[in-house]
Amino acid sequence: MHPILADARKLLFYELAWLAAGVGFAALLRLDEQADWVGALCFTLPLALVWSFDVLSAYYVCRSQPYRQRRWPVTLSLFGGASLLSGLVFLGAGEALNYLGGDIVRGKAFVDMPSAAWVMYFLGGFALYLLSLLGHDVLIAFETVQDAARREAESRVLARDAELQMLRTQINPHFLFNSLNSISALTGFDPAAAREMTVDLAQFFRRTLALAERERITLGEEVTLSEHFLAIEKRRFGKKLAAQLRVSPEAAQCLLPPMTLQPLLENAIKHGIRQVDGGGTIEVDALVRDGWLHIAVVNPVARDDTPASGHGVGLKNIRERLAVLYGQRARIAWQRSETQFAIEINLPVDKEAGT
Amino acid sequence: MTLPSRLRALVVDDEDLARHLIREYLQAHADVEVVGECENGLDAVKQIGVLNPDLVFLDIQMPRLTGLEVLEATGRRSGVIFTTAYDEHAIKAFELHAVDYLLKPFSRARFDDALARARTLHAAAAAPGASQAQGVEALVARRGATLERILIRDREQVHVIPVEQVECIEAQGDYLAIEVDGKCHLKPQRISEIEEQLDPTRFLRVHRSFIINLAHLQAIERPGPDRHAARLRSGKRVPISRSGYEKLRELV
Repeated sequence: MHPILADARKLLFYELAWLAAGVGFAALLRLDEQADWVGALCFTLPLALVWSFDVLSAYYVCRSQPYRQRRWPVTLSLFGGASLLSGLVFLGAGEALNYLGGDIVRGKAFVDMPSAAWVMYFLGGFALYLLSLLGHDVLIAFETVQDAARREAESRVLARDAELQMLRTQINPHFLFNSLNSISALTGFDPAAAREMTVDLAQFFRRTLALAERERITLGEEVTLSEHFLAIEKRRFGKKLAAQLRVSPEAAQCLLPPMTLQPLLENAIKHGIRQVDGGGTIEVDALVRDGWLHIAVVNPVARDDTPASGHGVGLKNIRERLAVLYGQRARIAWQRSETQFAIEINLPVDKEAGT
Repeated sequence: MTLPSRLRALVVDDEDLARHLIREYLQAHADVEVVGECENGLDAVKQIGVLNPDLVFLDIQMPRLTGLEVLEATGRRSGVIFTTAYDEHAIKAFELHAVDYLLKPFSRARFDDALARARTLHAAAAAPGASQAQGVEALVARRGATLERILIRDREQVHVIPVEQVECIEAQGDYLAIEVDGKCHLKPQRISEIEEQLDPTRFLRVHRSFIINLAHLQAIERPGPDRHAARLRSGKRVPISRSGYEKLRELV
């Protein structure tokens, strides 16, 4: 909607300005002795009202031709045509008003309109509309610049949020201390496994630190990170936890924000596998189809488990992050059946430039 | 003189390695025998009932029921050593009530320490009202945050009822009658105690002996001048006292 029409206060001032112009125009007509005061005002004020709305339509004409996509012959003929039409409307409206209001109601025309005045009215309407088009062009350009600045500021804030969240993941104290406790247990009877787990833990943290600084990473990198994470969790939960990652080679090259997959796995374990008596398998599928990257994570959940409070917060965070980075182009959906939780993320494919 | 009896211990933790570690540390103590292991809270409730162990190593964060819920359901208050990796809230409560706990990962020395203390307490357990029991009692009663699940012991079974399913709670003598899906569960507890634990934005004490779940409230009726009653979605009617009506009006 036009910014003036959307705001009642602005609209009021705008109309007042037009009415003032109408009064000015009436004074000119009076001075030129083309009409008496009543006739001039009866003529110019309604015309000013009609005209005030007519020139606003230029906003939509400009919007239909975004500056960066303009093909000048088309745009010029459109602008010229619209102005021409507008000139005719101005002339027609003036003539009609004069005839209806003057000849029929008052018995005498509001203003004299010799044929020389016809040309004047037409040219005036034409020029005014052209001016309005140019003015709106400037306004729209200004709006675009402001919009871009705001969007940039927003995404900067969200990027910082994401970073904070990642830091929190890195130092998830639960995960860290439980892992250390497992290592402590392993040293007693399986030193080799203890060593492996230490290395996995170190790798996981090292990679998280490295990736957190980047805006986009490949799914392949995220999968490697997730594999270290799963290796640690498998030691902790033993036979209860199994995972199958099926990532197509093409999907592995796609770019996505870091820590998109790993929190999903963490959720799947915390709210799913861990609550199920016999444990289960987390299944991850990632593939590219029709220009979209699909990532699906499915895990079993306990039948009688009531979703504990706090569940869903992590998912909401991911949804918000993706919404900021991708706008409407990212989709994330999840559903829970009695025994299963499934989540799917769809992102437009974005691959590393050939560097 | 009789030989000191062996301590019978139950190890409760959902992580295999964590249980393994406790077993390993216990090997050095010939007077402690591990009589069972549990990997979730519900199982722990059962085993504590069946085995009646002298000592329970109890993890706080577990599937099904948390460690504190296990204590609530079993009524056990002494002979417990808590273990936790990280739970700011629980640790604060432990400190406040002088209850012993082990922070994972823990050293053998720290473990032996806790065990020695538990042994002393066990020996003195004949004396009622030992300080540990009081501390645990307070810990269980004020579990912090708000209650999300209500545990009801029914002979060998423990029912776990999510609070959002509860329609209303009525005080009946020393018991609470908890209405869920047209069924009524009895639990020995005072109404003021459960009122404190429930989320005050979702549950309201509308009467001296009634708490209702606002999500189940359908209408407020007026059976007489200056008298009000709440009609619940199940069709049940609950009386509302004058002060209850004031509170309800503020909330709704």
